[in-house]
Amino acid sequence: MLSLDFLDDVRRMNKRQLYYQVLNFGMIVSSALMIWKGLMVITGSESPIVVVLSGSMEPAFHRGDLLFLTNRVEDPIRVGEIVVFRIEGREIPIVHRVLKIHEKQNGHIKFLTKGDNNAVDDRGLYKQGQHWLEKKDVVGRAR
Amino acid sequence: MAAVSAQGGRSGGGGGSSGAGGGPNCGTGSGRSGLLDKWKIDDKPVKIDKWDGSAVKNSLDDSAKKVLLEKYKYVENFGLIDGRLTICTISCFFAIVALIWDYMHPFPESKPVLALCVISYFVMMGILTIYTSYKEKSIFLVAHRKDPTGMDPDDIWQLSSSLKRFDDKYTLKLTFISGRTKQQREAEFTKSIAKFFDHSGTLVMDAYEPEISRLHDSLATERKIK
Repeated sequence: MLSLDFLDDVRRMNKRQLYYQVLNFGMIVSSALMIWKGLMVITGSESPIVVVLSGSMEPAFHRGDLLFLTNRVEDPIRVGEIVVFRIEGREIPIVHRVLKIHEKQNGHIKFLTKGDNNAVDDRGLYKQGQHWLEKKDVVGRAR
Repeated sequence: MAAVSAQGGRSGGGGGSSGAGGGPNCGTGSGRSGLLDKWKIDDKPVKIDKWDGSAVKNSLDDSAKKVLLEKYKYVENFGLIDGRLTICTISCFFAIVALIWDYMHPFPESKPVLALCVISYFVMMGILTIYTSYKEKSIFLVAHRKDPTGMDPDDIWQLSSSLKRFDDKYTLKLTFISGRTKQQREAEFTKSIAKFFDHSGTLVMDAYEPEISRLHDSLATERKIK
């Protein structure tokens, strides 16, 4: 039998203490998870904290900046606001500014975005045949 | 997160459960309990890192437990520990429910369930903190002495200890609650841990056991005089 000295502490524990160790680990993980879910509930956004991945919003946001998002659906989206949206079929959200908005009487909105540091608007990034974004694509707003 | 990190340091420890898998083997060669025998090392002398405060405290606590349970043959009562384990289990359960529910119904629909789970989780954390601070109060052993005549309720012995961070003074407090009169008596000693450990970090039971016995006997004899 291998005599592994570092396991001595574990071997000396009885069932309750082993279970407590497992629980301790579980609680640390759960605390982190609950804080994340709690933030999700409070801000209303699927992803309350995001990292800026590209330099397309310089000089406002640089690569590596953390953004704290909110997603109040009652507030209307206005031109000039910075929104974080997800394009259908793509996992990674994009942080850009709203350029143009078409608004219908019933409140339905179509909008176009562009990164501050980009030369052209985002139509090149959207899905094939998609020219406008809608409210459902929005993950949150950076205020 | 203070509650979580406070529990993180306590590894529990316990050499007292010698009955777990080792019972008398009738020579049928059951390999499983043989493995368990080799796994449990109750008889090996305790060796820990002498500079690690929490390891020192744990090993002293465990040895005190061992003395009380093996020498005086008291029965350990797991009520306090079970209470703490239950609270922790319920908290983790809420977390798991939140995780699975959110996975099955993506975010906006799962908002009320999530809110409920998060609030319950933090309420359970609060309950846990109150429980460990006020009910458990650094007590690590509750042992019963079964009354031999079987008529009177059990006497209860409680052990609690404290060792400050980066300090070498270890305080061990033994509390005796008489089953019959419900009176409470306590005795404690504060000694430097250097008295019980040798230079390599091995706990010297010959120096430690007399201390425990002395505490115990001082409480036991008072009872006889009364």
